[in-house]
Amino acid sequence: MPVVLELERVSKSFGDFRAVCDLSLRVERGSVHGFLGPNGAGKTTSLRMILGMLLPDSGRLSVLGSPSALAVRDRVGYLPEEKGLYRSMRCAEVIAYFARLKGLGRSEATRRARSLLERHGLGAFAMAKVETLSKGMGQKVQVLASIAHGPELVILDEPFSGLDPVNQQVLEEIVSDLKARGATILFSTHVMAQAERLCDRLSILGGGRGLFEGTVPEARRLLPVRIALETSDPSADPGPLPGVVVRDRLGAGRWSLALAVGADPGSVLEACFERSIRLRRFDVHETDLHDVFVHLVGPGAREASMR
Amino acid sequence: MSPALLIAAREFLGNARTRGFWFGILMVPLLWVIASQVPLWLARKGTPTRHFALFDATRTGGSAGVILRHLRRMEERRGSMRFREWAAPRLLPGRSLPTIDGSGTSWPDLRSQVAGSMRPDAGGFTPPEPLHRPVVLPAGLAWRGDLADFEGRLRDWLREGRPCPAEDRGEPVVLFAAALVLDGEGPGDPPVLRFWSDNQADTSLRDAMAEALSREHRRAEYGRRGVDPALVGQVEAARARVVDLNPRKAAGQEQVGLADQLRQWAPSVFVYLLWIAVFAVSQMLLNSLIEERSNRILEVLVSSVTPLQLMVGKLLGVAAVGAVMALAWIGSLVLVTAWMVGSSGIAAVAPDSAIARLPLELATLLGDSWILPAFGLYFVLGYLFYSAVILALGSTCSDLKEAQNFTGVIALFMMVPLVSITFIPKDPNGPIATCLSWIPPYTPFVMMNRVAASPPWFDVVGTLVLLVISDILVLWACARVFRRAVLRTGQPASLAQLARWIFGRG
Repeated sequence: MPVVLELERVSKSFGDFRAVCDLSLRVERGSVHGFLGPNGAGKTTSLRMILGMLLPDSGRLSVLGSPSALAVRDRVGYLPEEKGLYRSMRCAEVIAYFARLKGLGRSEATRRARSLLERHGLGAFAMAKVETLSKGMGQKVQVLASIAHGPELVILDEPFSGLDPVNQQVLEEIVSDLKARGATILFSTHVMAQAERLCDRLSILGGGRGLFEGTVPEARRLLPVRIALETSDPSADPGPLPGVVVRDRLGAGRWSLALAVGADPGSVLEACFERSIRLRRFDVHETDLHDVFVHLVGPGAREASMR
Repeated sequence: MSPALLIAAREFLGNARTRGFWFGILMVPLLWVIASQVPLWLARKGTPTRHFALFDATRTGGSAGVILRHLRRMEERRGSMRFREWAAPRLLPGRSLPTIDGSGTSWPDLRSQVAGSMRPDAGGFTPPEPLHRPVVLPAGLAWRGDLADFEGRLRDWLREGRPCPAEDRGEPVVLFAAALVLDGEGPGDPPVLRFWSDNQADTSLRDAMAEALSREHRRAEYGRRGVDPALVGQVEAARARVVDLNPRKAAGQEQVGLADQLRQWAPSVFVYLLWIAVFAVSQMLLNSLIEERSNRILEVLVSSVTPLQLMVGKLLGVAAVGAVMALAWIGSLVLVTAWMVGSSGIAAVAPDSAIARLPLELATLLGDSWILPAFGLYFVLGYLFYSAVILALGSTCSDLKEAQNFTGVIALFMMVPLVSITFIPKDPNGPIATCLSWIPPYTPFVMMNRVAASPPWFDVVGTLVLLVISDILVLWACARVFRRAVLRTGQPASLAQLARWIFGRG
């Protein structure tokens, strides 16, 4: 798949503070790429460099084949982290305005604005002033304003923040629509569930550095599958088990087992039966993105939040 | 449409939809109407009838009659003037009122003179209430020959606000003043008027009484010395005829008229308009920028257009707002003046008078002279200077409070040309005006004020070139600041940082 966005050892400092350090990233055409990281990880700075709003101190950038997004800004859509629109403008008008800034003609921009509003359940509010909308509706309008010109690359900075579950679902549908249309989406978030559901690939940042880049299953494999095991006999020791690399005794008859990558929890259960260990609990805990995220950025994130 | 023009159009429409824009448009004509009509209205409606007590303690006892006759003549003249104002717009086509001959014709006489010239639907004239009206002297205030005793009683009466019966209706009224006329200290000395009132602001009654007594005394003195008072009156009525001439005007047309007076003073009005326009639209620009900054629209805009396009678009859009406001002000000044002159009926009374010709002269002045082009040019150049600075400083601030710290300093800086408005027309090519003209931030206002005085071409061209160069430099520096500051968050930039942004590389 062709690469639409590539960062190679990109760095950016503000005075003595190193916001982004040697960040590398590849985003393939038509994919949804998650940009994960705690507050202060460098996500917004990275996105601003990608958009050409900030110049990197070092490293190389390529956006839709151009060294700067400024040259291809009409093919890029952007939703900033903090949302805001002209309060006195009407919904259709504001969407059309931003689409026109991206090169669309007046009539086409207006047509697309109305069509997008209709498609996403806001048709009745086309002529309503932005100041009359609820926060969620306003945010939806802003998302539509960022995609009305039909961008090839859509960059969404924390698109789900501040949305209720219903509107989060609507936004997920918009992202899925964009993907189905062939657009590439890069979005930053610290909501792991959404990243797991939506992303083809993801990058995890911490302290301005890239800590991981890959698919969700690849991320999961960074941590072992854990099994919580409890025996009826408090003194029983299951002994070495197949595939188990770490065996921690938590208390009388309670164990926490960590499996090697690729090991099958079923073979551990089988071995327990073969050894006539009477089990009261056998709980397999699949690694999720949250575990991986905390594992990768936990200490750094706490440090950053104290800064 | 280019992105900069799109931003300009949105900026224009965004401002044009606000109540502030329409208030700004209506403000100048409204102020013009208020400033010109309210004092007149107050003079007609707002001044209550002043009741006074008059005591004549002179040996002859004729002074009270002199004063009352004088006041009556004044009221007749006032009634006559008010009748002329009322009658002028109600005349039949082609008819006119008798010219003013100074004889003080009373309004009932005038009414009978023009009775056949009035429109059938003219209605009836209501004469104005008299400004001053004497009261019937109460018994407690009788003159008993002792001044100290009388004035003691009078002071108590006035202090306590005791009512007196009014001469006309008999209803009790509170005295505005009490006047006591005494003989002069020596033989042949003019009488003494002792005027008691706690109102020191309205001196019209006191002045009228003093004028009546002075005239009568002079008339008596002329008679005593064998001089015919009528003859003296005729001689004293003679006035030197003044002809104002301007050597810069074409041969044969040197006489200074209303148009010349307008040309002399109109630029000052335009400097006010220029100042208000530049100040008002710079504030609009700042508010718009701070709104976009605080709700992060700027971030989306900068992902769509370059900071320079954004800055140019905003400057153009708000400039258009300012231009529309200024044109509306100028147009409304002419229209409101025409309406006020038309509704006064002065054209029917004195069609060749300066006031009747004012709207036409004003329109001719705007059409023929350099005032409008100069106004347009200096508006654009002045606006660019100040708005670029405000935009750059505003881009470093995250809220209006921070920004107002900067704009307060700029407003103080802008006060200098405002203060100079009145003295520059008196010496438009003097050293102060010339010096101020060469300071680029003041050039638009000062040169606008000098435009009627034909300043030397060196000053006109030189200051213009300097102003254009200054505008280019300021725009360049401000664009560099704007580009760096527009997405910045946190504390406002320090002066050192601003300098680095302007003069640093990149």
